[in-house]
Amino acid sequence: MTDAKTMAYINMYAVLGTLENLCELDKKAKEILSSLKSPVSLAFEVKDGPAATLTFSSKGCRMEDGVNNPDIKIPVSSCEKFNKIIDGEVTPVPTKGLTKISFLLKTFTALTDRLTELMRPTEEALKDREFFVLSTRLTFYTIAVAMSQIANQDAIGKASASYMVDGDISLGIKNCDTATIRVKDHHLVTIKKAPEKPRAIMSFADYDLASDLFNGRVNALEELCRGTVEIHGMASMIDNMNRLLDRVALYLA
Amino acid sequence: MSKYPEYNHDKGREYFDRALKVIPAGIYGHLGPSEGLWIPIQKWPFYSTKAQGSYFWDADGNKYIDYMCAYGPNVLGYNDPDVDAAAKAQLEKGNCTTAPSTIMVECAENLVNTVASADWAFFCKNGSDTTTLAVMSARAHTHKRKIIFLKGYYHGDFQWAQKVDYPGILPEDVCHNLVAPWFDIDALQKLYDDNDGDIAGLIAQPYDHGNFKDNEVASREYWQSVRKWCDDHGVVLIFDDVRAGFRLDLAGSDHYYGIKADLICFCKALANGYNMSALCGGEHMKATVSGMTYTGSYWMSAVPFAACIACINKMKALDTPTLFRKLGTQLTDGFKAAAQNNGFDLVVSGEPALFYLRIANDDSLMLHQEWIAECVSRGLFLASHHNHFINASLTEDDIKVSIDIAEDAFNVVRKNHPELF
Repeated sequence: MTDAKTMAYINMYAVLGTLENLCELDKKAKEILSSLKSPVSLAFEVKDGPAATLTFSSKGCRMEDGVNNPDIKIPVSSCEKFNKIIDGEVTPVPTKGLTKISFLLKTFTALTDRLTELMRPTEEALKDREFFVLSTRLTFYTIAVAMSQIANQDAIGKASASYMVDGDISLGIKNCDTATIRVKDHHLVTIKKAPEKPRAIMSFADYDLASDLFNGRVNALEELCRGTVEIHGMASMIDNMNRLLDRVALYLA
Repeated sequence: MSKYPEYNHDKGREYFDRALKVIPAGIYGHLGPSEGLWIPIQKWPFYSTKAQGSYFWDADGNKYIDYMCAYGPNVLGYNDPDVDAAAKAQLEKGNCTTAPSTIMVECAENLVNTVASADWAFFCKNGSDTTTLAVMSARAHTHKRKIIFLKGYYHGDFQWAQKVDYPGILPEDVCHNLVAPWFDIDALQKLYDDNDGDIAGLIAQPYDHGNFKDNEVASREYWQSVRKWCDDHGVVLIFDDVRAGFRLDLAGSDHYYGIKADLICFCKALANGYNMSALCGGEHMKATVSGMTYTGSYWMSAVPFAACIACINKMKALDTPTLFRKLGTQLTDGFKAAAQNNGFDLVVSGEPALFYLRIANDDSLMLHQEWIAECVSRGLFLASHHNHFINASLTEDDIKVSIDIAEDAFNVVRKNHPELF
């Protein structure tokens, strides 16, 4: 069972939030952004759900929580409707920034199309190693953020979070990307950089294993036994994080 | 230079790689790398080929002093001659038969004469079988639905005893589970009131011997107040003595705390490794349990009953609870001194017979896991997340060697972390 509100939080912070990483890591995204002469900010405000502002410039993209005087504002009447916007089933209608509509139609759409290409790759596209690595890296950040949203919003995810002690978990692909899952009073926040002093560590051996894990081709516990997933520290935090990872698959399948 | 060279596990790894092809996770559950927390996996032995007394040997021929005791069943020592002789003698007479052996009656009588709160015994195989029967019986007896657990509980892996976020568990499987903190009678009352008194039972281990945390022993006053609260509210008090049973008190851990549980679950130390468990209880619960639909293919096999009788008789002769307290204290005092010699703060908690260890120099357990791994790879088998177990075959010399290996491992970890010292 999934619920629309949790999905909306995932769509906002994990899916749209990955535009930050796309714009940093992908040459094609950088090309798309290069045409921007000045920064453009775009906010989604979902009734009874998440609200965030994405600011794009020729240098990249960043997401901030809340609606912060954006150039374009898109209010959405419900979590369900927002999820349909992300799925491409409903066209978003801005109430502010109609003069910037071309950004929405061209630049933003081009970026989200590119993100979809990488996040929902074809088998053929994955044969290109560079594409595969980029796709896996973006998936990693999406999952890392989605996990925190599930811990904070989903009823069963909250149960997992309720067993977690305070501290930073380092979640990463060995010698590559690392994120911090910060736990404080059973509320989780994902920070897209390594923690300074982790209380627990979970790392995947390489991109191939990470991809297999993210796509459900292998199981984390079995890989732990095999030695391709390493854990250290407060294992109860990792145990519960694994249960959140299981639910990410449910939402992002 | 380490006094105790690290073991090699090449053959063990070969077996494990074979196992990964034909057994899910290679070794699943608490005896394996994931639940057993083998961090890092290279330091652990994977499989054993033989065992004797307080020791087992791995596939590479390495010898280990074992303080996990198969996670409890090894209570007298592996291959105890008296228990094994009784089992073998029974095997020659018969084991799994259509009409259960008369030795089943003798085993039940022995338990009733040993366990203070027992007026009867119902036999199964694993701890989970008994905790499940206990919870079902509490519901059948009271015609109520909810069960109170105490925080950090573990009562086996059947669906009802797992948590809502575990794989394969439905919210409906655990929707009648309520959780109260330890040592808080007011919290029990609040749960009772919040649920309109729909409480069938309270299931708990004798004290808080949870994982990843210092263990907290209970007091007689606490259990006496819980007993009174259960009596006042018609709640069935279930003691899960699967882990601690016969290691604190041969008359049951409820007796150790000066009370009588309504139902008490035994398994691990019951028959020194022969596969059986038992639910015992007071006369007032017997009719209810008699009416339960609950059985299993091997639950009345005779060999474990023979082993159980021999095991209980020998535990009585040795006064194992007193012995375990003495040996556990001696061992852990030595560990603490070895830690201190190397600048580590080793916290020892829980009962000496089931001691729990934690290096407190950091709050992540990473140093602790490193030390445990260095101990294991030098022949001292400990666990980084779980309480340990003492067995009766442990000698003073074994304890001396254990402390020496522990000190050597502390020394290795200290040298690996010059930044800390």
